[in-house]
Amino acid sequence: MEYKILKKDQIIKLYNDLTKDYNFFAPIKEKRNIVFRKITNPEEIVLDYLNSKVPPKEILFPEKDILFEYKINDNEIELEEPKNLNEQNIIFGIRPCDAHSFVLLVNFFSQGDFKDEIIINRRKNTILIGIGCNTPKSTCFCTSVEGNPFQKDYMDVFLVDLQNEYLVEGISDKGKDLIKKLSWLADAKEMDIEKAQELKKQAEESITTKLDLKDIDKILDPNFDHPIWKEVSETCIGCGTCSFLCPTCTCFDVIDENVPNKNRGRRIRIWDTCQSCLYTLHTSGHNPRNSCIQRVRNRILHKFCYYPENYGMLGCVGCGRCVQLCPVNNDLRTIIEKIKKIEPKREEKVSA
Amino acid sequence: MVIENENKEIEQLIRDLAGKLLEEKQVDVIIGYTEGTVPLSSSPIVIDKAEDVDKLIWNNLCYINLAKYLVPRIPTLMNEEGQKLKVGIVSKGCVGRALIHLSVEHQLDLESIKIIGIPCNGIINRKKIEDEIGEREIFDISVSGDNIIVKGRDFEKVFPFNEYMNELCKVCQVKSPPFLEDICVGECLENPVIEDDFSDIAEFDSKTTEEKWEYIKSLLETCTRCYACREACPMCYCNLCFVDQNQPVWFGKTTGYSDIFVFHLVRAMHMAGRCVGCGACSSACPMGIDLNLINRSLEKIAKERFNFTTGIDPRSLPPMMAYDIEDKEEFMMEED
Ligand code: SF4
Ligand code: SF4
Ligand code: SF4
Ligand code: SF4
Repeated sequence: MEYKILKKDQIIKLYNDLTKDYNFFAPIKEKRNIVFRKITNPEEIVLDYLNSKVPPKEILFPEKDILFEYKINDNEIELEEPKNLNEQNIIFGIRPCDAHSFVLLVNFFSQGDFKDEIIINRRKNTILIGIGCNTPKSTCFCTSVEGNPFQKDYMDVFLVDLQNEYLVEGISDKGKDLIKKLSWLADAKEMDIEKAQELKKQAEESITTKLDLKDIDKILDPNFDHPIWKEVSETCIGCGTCSFLCPTCTCFDVIDENVPNKNRGRRIRIWDTCQSCLYTLHTSGHNPRNSCIQRVRNRILHKFCYYPENYGMLGCVGCGRCVQLCPVNNDLRTIIEKIKKIEPKREEKVSA
Repeated sequence: MVIENENKEIEQLIRDLAGKLLEEKQVDVIIGYTEGTVPLSSSPIVIDKAEDVDKLIWNNLCYINLAKYLVPRIPTLMNEEGQKLKVGIVSKGCVGRALIHLSVEHQLDLESIKIIGIPCNGIINRKKIEDEIGEREIFDISVSGDNIIVKGRDFEKVFPFNEYMNELCKVCQVKSPPFLEDICVGECLENPVIEDDFSDIAEFDSKTTEEKWEYIKSLLETCTRCYACREACPMCYCNLCFVDQNQPVWFGKTTGYSDIFVFHLVRAMHMAGRCVGCGACSSACPMGIDLNLINRSLEKIAKERFNFTTGIDPRSLPPMMAYDIEDKEEFMMEED
């Protein structure tokens, strides 16, 4: 395996080299928040961030995604497919949990007969140059959901911050090829690799949130009507922050915008959330999930019961955003602990 | 008095009154605040047993406006038999104001609640502290003397509380809820008189329309339209918000600039003479958008045009819902 070294002041060179062939996305500080943007000034890149406010899912699955535009000329309908679908992207500086979430996103959008070509293509055309987390937050729990702060499996290229420079490792074939092209990268020394291993160990040890999620779907499945749902939703105000900014949440709404009398319009996909009261409102006025009890339950069941049942994986990557950002501090970790304490139901007596 | 002692006293007041109300069965449940599980947070809590009163806390991070839990948008608190519970609600000034104005708008029966009045000493501006700390994790935040102490892995920073308080708290004149006979217990304000010169927004007011537009544009740029501001606001109680109307669709729903702007503009119009200046909306916004200047401007307009301050008098008529032949209308009629 080959390791390289990228000096911190060489990021500009890296950007200049890659930006010719790729849209270069990286974390920057925009107003108060770290977000991923297609950058034009590499000096803006912030790599020692804790975690971004908006997850990089917004690159594959934007908040506002134009699916197509149309024009009506006489009796002809002219459809215009989205542009830039075949453009090549690099996401630089993505964290392991967010890279993990891309696996979930692609899996979700590839199910059944209706594959979402837009999102699948975007992912295919995107190279991830990720970075390990030297200082995970107290709310991070990637190690409880089959991840870890140095998980590189979902990356194409993996970086480790060695303080003055980055250790660079090619993971996938795509990533290895990319490194070959960057022939100016210096070779890493044995010492650097050892230091990276030490950092990995430290980072893993510093994760304080540990959740036992094994077989949690088995507990959840028979407890749809358990009183716990009232308890854990009592103070929820239904703001949707927990799902809007969750890297694995995929719900969307599709809206049509028509320009009256101009015979043109467009179809747009926007983010939606199961925490909004409108989400399940039927045309009849009936709403099967009419209160926070049902909505909070749905969020938890979707991630920790339906995901394992349907796809054989958990629907959470342990980024801790929902824990940090819920305005009423309805802490997912506390909810999980409460679920784990549910007494297993005794075998129902079979009466003759 | 130093702030942490004030906090202890307020906390004791809450626990004593909550315990008494529950023991005497004057209420079935108390809505209050409890300790949060992450720094810079607090959590609302509903308790129904006198022995649980020690879970109730007061600190300068109790930013949620608890009146939200009594509006129609949130399911009514009921017992097993489906009867409405009698609620005691821990009320800083702006919670009391929200409750009073909700009753003015016929959304709440004040007779069915008990207001536990507390003399609020201000809420910490979380966003401003986070800005100062940057990309480092905060492990602990506490108040000592007149300062806020913030600690993290290898840092400790001190911020003067007066400066790092929410902007709305800095100018708040109704720190305790207005007094209502038979409904309020604890510390309340009898006949509060509001004299506000709005000097805090004088600078903003003196800007040209173009400059104000630039400010608002840049303010709202990062809005993701999650509507956390709306869901945290005690005055946003409509079961179907204008922006959710979809048969037909009234407003654009994307995060395109004009759609975001229309949402906030129309919401602001709906808040005129209704906003109680609690700052819950800005505290809840995950993107750190500070709507205070908009809210203060609304308060100013209601005060100047109608001599109205929201949530002070349960017998008042809300200016936007009442007609008076003397109402000033020059702002509706173009002069030239
Ligand atoms: S559920 Fe919470 S912790 Fe899990 S991926 Fe979503 S935001 Fe992150
Ligand atoms: S962030 Fe908290 S209050 Fe908002 S919907 Fe999620 S659990 Fe409810
Ligand atoms: S809470 Fe913030 S991001 Fe969400 S809709 Fe309101 S202003 Fe926009
Ligand atoms: S608009 Fe904001 S400040 Fe005004 S009442 Fe609503 S939450 Fe409070």
